Amino acid sequence: MTTMAIQNSTEVLAARKEHNEKIAAHTDKARATWFPWLLLGLFVALPLLQFTGNYNYVIHMILFTACYAVMASGWNILGGFTGYISLGHNVFFAVGAYFAGMIYARMGISTIILAPIAGLLAAALGFVIGKITLKVRGPSFIISSLALVMIARILFDNWEFVGGAAGVALPSTDLPVQWAKLPYYYAFVFMAAFTVWVSYKVKHSKFGMGLRAIASDEIKAESAGIDTRLYKALAFALSAFFVGMAGAVWGEYLTYIRPNIYLIILVSVNMVLMCILGGKGTVAGPVIGAIMIVAFNEFFVATLGASELNILASGLVMALALIFFPLGIVGTLAKHNRLPRFLNWD
Amino acid sequence: MSNIIQVLILGLALGGVFSLMGAGLSLVFGVMRIVNLAHPSLIIAGAYIAYWPFKLWGVDPLVMLPVATVIMAAIGVLLYKLVFEREAKSAKYSEMTVLLTFAVAMIVEGALGGMFTNTQRVTSPSYATEAIFIGDIFIPTGQLYAGIISIAIISALALFLKYSRFGNAIRATTQNRDAAQLLGVNVNLVGVVSFAIGIGLAGAAGVLVSFVFAFFPAKHWEWIAILMSLVVLGGMGSILGTVLAAFMLSVVAAFVGAYIGATWSTMTFFLALFIILLVRPQGLFGEKPELA
Repeated sequence: MTTMAIQNSTEVLAARKEHNEKIAAHTDKARATWFPWLLLGLFVALPLLQFTGNYNYVIHMILFTACYAVMASGWNILGGFTGYISLGHNVFFAVGAYFAGMIYARMGISTIILAPIAGLLAAALGFVIGKITLKVRGPSFIISSLALVMIARILFDNWEFVGGAAGVALPSTDLPVQWAKLPYYYAFVFMAAFTVWVSYKVKHSKFGMGLRAIASDEIKAESAGIDTRLYKALAFALSAFFVGMAGAVWGEYLTYIRPNIYLIILVSVNMVLMCILGGKGTVAGPVIGAIMIVAFNEFFVATLGASELNILASGLVMALALIFFPLGIVGTLAKHNRLPRFLNWD
Repeated sequence: MSNIIQVLILGLALGGVFSLMGAGLSLVFGVMRIVNLAHPSLIIAGAYIAYWPFKLWGVDPLVMLPVATVIMAAIGVLLYKLVFEREAKSAKYSEMTVLLTFAVAMIVEGALGGMFTNTQRVTSPSYATEAIFIGDIFIPTGQLYAGIISIAIISALALFLKYSRFGNAIRATTQNRDAAQLLGVNVNLVGVVSFAIGIGLAGAAGVLVSFVFAFFPAKHWEWIAILMSLVVLGGMGSILGTVLAAFMLSVVAAFVGAYIGATWSTMTFFLALFIILLVRPQGLFGEKPELA
């Protein structure tokens, strides 16, 4: 009797395993992980163009997009996977920039080397803030994240050591113009690749499943034995890590750090907007969102000029996207089974 | 001693204006469960409605008060029909509306900035620059008038909510939307009307703001957190709570500004918001933690 039961259950388990593997093989086939690698290869080889002429504009655009992709993918770990919308992530962008920027200004250590440390600092801060603010959810969390930006802005505006509201000018690189952008270019391209890779790994780990369980129903997730408080705080820390890292190098690239570059609401809105446009909670979504936002920005700045109209356009795009495509490009296409293979990175 | 009374009076005068600014926000949340982050930007729109007639023809801002209220209420109806009506069935409704109102705030800011630029503006009718002296203590008449008018408008609103039939329907919807609907309340109509009243109050507040503070389109980011702190401390949806919170926090902010430093005065609101959300998310008068 018992042996039969055991035999039965092993059979069931074996059958289930076989079934799961079939599904996994199917999704593996549908997924195009080669595409991001191809993109990375292209971007690594691209600066060779510099030998044939001046393509600094192209380099700048890709660098800019990569920076936004890092920020959006980082934000996506908290906002997309876990479902906690933060409008205060530019605080970590600022923390990374100020930490690395100040050391760079005083000791001359390149922010590219300092970026991981700046990221860790942002992550530690994110963990602590997450432990506090992630007690509340939904609109309360969004509002508390806004309050965080306001508090950080006043603190940085009045902190004399980091130059207050005037900020600090950083020494610029002494490379010839043609090659000046390249260190930052490679830093951002590799950071973007790393962020996308981590975000893929997170999505397919037990941790990522826990996060997605929290997003769909937190109380059920908790009763299923997930330590939601810890998971959420870790997700907050991880997303702050990437945003902080991007901030560190961005400061040196711009050659100045100032509160009104980092701690304005448009920076955090852009992170939210990229993820909503591309598709929250997907791996490819934030990258596609980053490409779209940079393209939009270029278009609006070229045609409209003034920054006020830029804000108006961002607001319009955000409202239209929320009303008509709340799932974003990747999400909407996937829902209708129309997602092209090369965009399926999950 | 007279110094302390002076600070107290300045704080109370500010509290009067802030309570009208927060009242509309509180009403809209109470009835519609919309956290309207666009409210402060609509207040600034109201301020411009008072500003241009004053600047061009010298019209007293207070004359524009009913005009601004009506115009903004109409804009409220339009916003509701365009944006929020279709979202009512969305699963993550309240979270969705936060993002949507945020987008609306950007649209309003961008439109105002594009038309009127980000120059600081203020209407300066004669009473805005005068002050009443009682012994050593002075009371700026502009803020005094603004405070008195705010309280008058809020009292009228409270009477309307308490004694009129429609006001009762609004309060019933605030307490329990489904039960109100079962009892024959047209909750959709209640939604539109209270949204219109809420945005109309933003218009009225804007007119008062126009001679109390210098304003420009991007100013609303600062007010979002300030008004949120009032509404959250008072208990989301409780108008009386919002008024009391406005007076409490304004007085505290006035003392912080006077004794610690002017830059830290607004910090009072932001820190208060942060702490209240985490310690007592239902606020002082909220009955249950609606948002937590």
